[in-house]
Amino acid sequence: MNINQIRNFCIIAHIDHGKSTLADRLLEKVNAVSPRKFRDQVLDNMDLERERGITIKASAVALDYRKNGETYSLNLIDTPGHVDFSYEVSRSLGACEGVLLLVDASQGIEAQTITNVYMAIEKNLEIIPVLSKIDLKTARPKEVGEEIVSILGMDSAEIIEVSAKTGLGIDDIFDGIIAKIPPPKGDVNAPLRALIFDSVYDDYRGVIVYIRIFDGSIKVGDNIFMMKINRSFEVVELGLFKPEMTPVDTLGAGSVGYCIANIKSIHDVHIGDTVTLTKRRSTVALPGYNRPLPMVFCGLYPTDNTDFMPLRAAIERLWINDSSFSYEPETSQALGFGFRCGFLGLLHMEIVQERLERESNVGLVQTAPTVTYEILTHDGKIIHVDNPEKLPSVGTIKEFREPVVEAKIILPSEYIGAIMKLTDERRATYKSTEYLSEKRAILTYDIPLGEIIFDFYDKLKSLTRGYGTLDYEFVGYVPEDLVKLDILVAGKKVDALSCIVHRKKAEAKGRKLVQNLKKDIARHMFEIPIQAAIGGRVIARETIRQMAKNVTAKCYGGDVTRKRKLLEKQKEGKKRMKNVGNVEIPQSAFLSVLSTDV
Amino acid sequence: MSIHDHLHSLYIHIPFCTSKCIYCDFNSITIKSDIVDEYLLAIESEFQSINKEYFFKTVYIGGGTPTVLNETQLSKLLDIVSKYIDKSKLKEYTIEANPGTLNDERIFILKNSLVNRVSIGIQSFNNNYLKLLERIHTANEAKDTFFNLRENGFKNINIDLIYGYPGQTLNEWKMDLMESSRLDPEHVSAYCLSYEQGTPLTKMIDSGIFRRLEEEEELKLYEYTKDFLCNKGYLHYEISNFAKPGKKCKHNIVYWNNEEYIGIGAGAFSFVDGKRYCNIKNVSEYISTAQSKKNLICFSETLSQKKRASEILIMSLRMTSGISKIEFFKRSGLDLLGLFGKQINDLAKAGLINFDDERIKLTRKGMSVADSVMMEFV
Ligand SMILES: Nc1nc2c(ncn2[C@@H]2O[C@H](COP(=O)(O)OP(=O)(O)O)[C@@H](O)[C@H]2O)c(=O)[nH]1
Ligand code: SF4
Ligand SMILES: [Mg+2]
Repeated sequence: MNINQIRNFCIIAHIDHGKSTLADRLLEKVNAVSPRKFRDQVLDNMDLERERGITIKASAVALDYRKNGETYSLNLIDTPGHVDFSYEVSRSLGACEGVLLLVDASQGIEAQTITNVYMAIEKNLEIIPVLSKIDLKTARPKEVGEEIVSILGMDSAEIIEVSAKTGLGIDDIFDGIIAKIPPPKGDVNAPLRALIFDSVYDDYRGVIVYIRIFDGSIKVGDNIFMMKINRSFEVVELGLFKPEMTPVDTLGAGSVGYCIANIKSIHDVHIGDTVTLTKRRSTVALPGYNRPLPMVFCGLYPTDNTDFMPLRAAIERLWINDSSFSYEPETSQALGFGFRCGFLGLLHMEIVQERLERESNVGLVQTAPTVTYEILTHDGKIIHVDNPEKLPSVGTIKEFREPVVEAKIILPSEYIGAIMKLTDERRATYKSTEYLSEKRAILTYDIPLGEIIFDFYDKLKSLTRGYGTLDYEFVGYVPEDLVKLDILVAGKKVDALSCIVHRKKAEAKGRKLVQNLKKDIARHMFEIPIQAAIGGRVIARETIRQMAKNVTAKCYGGDVTRKRKLLEKQKEGKKRMKNVGNVEIPQSAFLSVLSTDV
Repeated sequence: MSIHDHLHSLYIHIPFCTSKCIYCDFNSITIKSDIVDEYLLAIESEFQSINKEYFFKTVYIGGGTPTVLNETQLSKLLDIVSKYIDKSKLKEYTIEANPGTLNDERIFILKNSLVNRVSIGIQSFNNNYLKLLERIHTANEAKDTFFNLRENGFKNINIDLIYGYPGQTLNEWKMDLMESSRLDPEHVSAYCLSYEQGTPLTKMIDSGIFRRLEEEEELKLYEYTKDFLCNKGYLHYEISNFAKPGKKCKHNIVYWNNEEYIGIGAGAFSFVDGKRYCNIKNVSEYISTAQSKKNLICFSETLSQKKRASEILIMSLRMTSGISKIEFFKRSGLDLLGLFGKQINDLAKAGLINFDDERIKLTRKGMSVADSVMMEFV
């Protein structure tokens, strides 16, 4: 394939602006998927993606497009829109020369739109602005077009209007891609340089790496060399995503595909690494990626303590496919052996946990999520704490610092009052207001990450009837009056329930927490006191009374089977709980920190 | 083996009621006369399809409300059943009846049949609660039904009572118990109100219209029930059942002893040759399947020895007499202590069961948390 006939591009947008649906139409247009196999959002092939209706993983697909007697090879990458998955977007951008930037014609520019545009600009990519969902009755192409011009600084003549529903404008998209997105610049004759932008683990074939070739070419049988890992492998299969993996003999500069090379250990692959040939090495590595810093941490423990090793295997295997989470082994008095994992946000945490459970069959207990705190000790050391239990003793702490982010909230201006109140409750510092148009504004605040990460987004959505959107970026650590809140169940401190809170909020939080726990933990054959304490001083207390009555009143002929099954089911449920000092604590209890709205 | 081991029990299900009570999750629908005729035909054909000769020691017609059938239908039902009864082997023949459905003519029909025990669904003597549960009768109607049966010579009557209504006080329940003792029935089933999934009552609780009694309050009512009825000369022989000496319900004991029985009718369960079956639950589906002479069974299970053993223990623990080690071995073929030694030990230590090396039973405390105890044995 002549490199000038290749175009590599991503579709980027705020969540729900129609990326995956547009990808469907583009695929359909070139008959990439047989009508029989076609289903909506065809690139969202993970069960979890289909269940939730969101894209979690970026997916690449190679399209053969014919125009005026020429055949073009278009490599499209559909990306997720949620802020927690922006590492997926940034990696995808690294494999492209241009982007289709979708803006929903009725929603207008939202927080994630702006973030995505900046990412694309930073990487020097050609941006084609697209107004999507133009068929909607509520579409406001003119106003939204103006937003694109004034906020993103684009030329209104460049904007393509499409409807992925009716098919309107799809041809213009193809024309735009070919005319505006530059072909890859690589040198086919130079030594091989390919970027690993993603990978998956396959039980039979080992690690499959997804690559974008920048220079040179690669063929089956070649001996490849991974620059960072410093090891060689023999290529056994190369291929394109069509969207199924379709083998080819060679991949040349500019193309996007996959490579299978008998890589059995997941430690032999590094996302962002450069692949070259062992015999004809390039010495200049590609820029690669900066792995994002995890923002939220929690412990993940196998419900059944004997499942530690399978959990480790599952985590490592998932990590190959999503290296934006971090993990390291830790132990908890309450929960045994497990891992402290870091995530880009709560949704990310939820998705990783669910993927782990599904892909490994290991039941998981997750501890209360927390952000990372920074401690300055009296002897001048700086410690980062991502687990409340690891906090040094109070006496050694000179400054207790919390992470602060700059948050941008885009919303209809009528809701500004309501949001001001919310941000106030969340200890936010107001910075500025800009107007996108008469009716829509961008508010900028500095907010402690711990105040924003748990339920702020849901609150924002409900206060703005769904119109408000949010994006944030880490700014730094700021000293605050913080304390560690401990929870004691039946007199025993449950380390997995500890959390760090602002002193002003500690008492309310403690009270709410013990109340929630009282609801989550079932009655036992004995009384269970639940206490919240700061440094040994109890600030709130509830008691779960001893079980008084638990008996099925009626049990005759037909009830026997039902009764036995019910008891079996309850017993199964008990197995899924964590036993802390004879008290069975359900998973929901460990997450009750999240739902305490203080 | 004694002769009793060759005798079975028979249950016939009549899935019709005048209207649905709000707590009810039994298999019953609002009655329509023409469907009843078809249903009786279906029952008859199910009887005919039994290809083995059974001798029944107990018969139980339950529902639903068997006595909502009109006089002709009721006679027909009793006729059909009588063809399968050997009078010389029959010990107990119960029919369930609801106040407000049992008129003189129906009582007359029962009197002239083999039925020798009537179980009346009185539930409460408090008209407010009867209304709340959407029962179709008043307290006075219930009493009338009782006395009419007595006057017609029925000497073995059970009354069903329910306690633990949202808002019920101990005093209110005491009055109900007092009223019942004035009737002096041979048998009392006193059930704590249960909140079954999907019933209108449960929905009302979930939506906050009513508040369930606290466990402690329910317990107080339960404990009081036991004391009261035992004082009045009843034996407390099963979690919710009380009988005058010699009047325990033989039919229900078959279930708690895990003995075998045949069930006829929509949704009825059978337990024969170690296998448990269940008939199609939906009434019209049951009828049409019976009409086309197709298989009525929609579920069956053969229990492993271990599961069977666990059921034997669980069910017999419902009875205050529990089960002896020897009896357990005889029925399950397994050694009680070999199977559950550790659990028995722990539960005995916690004061929930009594085990004197010979017989295992629940303590008073164990009985009020019986489900938690039983969970240890599944
Ligand atoms: N009316 C209309 N709805 C669309 C169009 N494109 C996407 N949608 C709907 O918008 C929602 C989000 O689309 P999706 O492609 O999943 O967005 P993504 O999150 O950006 O990938 C879905 O319910 C789509 O059916 C369009 O052109 N017109
Ligand atoms: S009378 Fe009995 S079976 Fe009929 S609806 Fe009421 S509770 Fe249910
Ligand atoms: Mg999508």
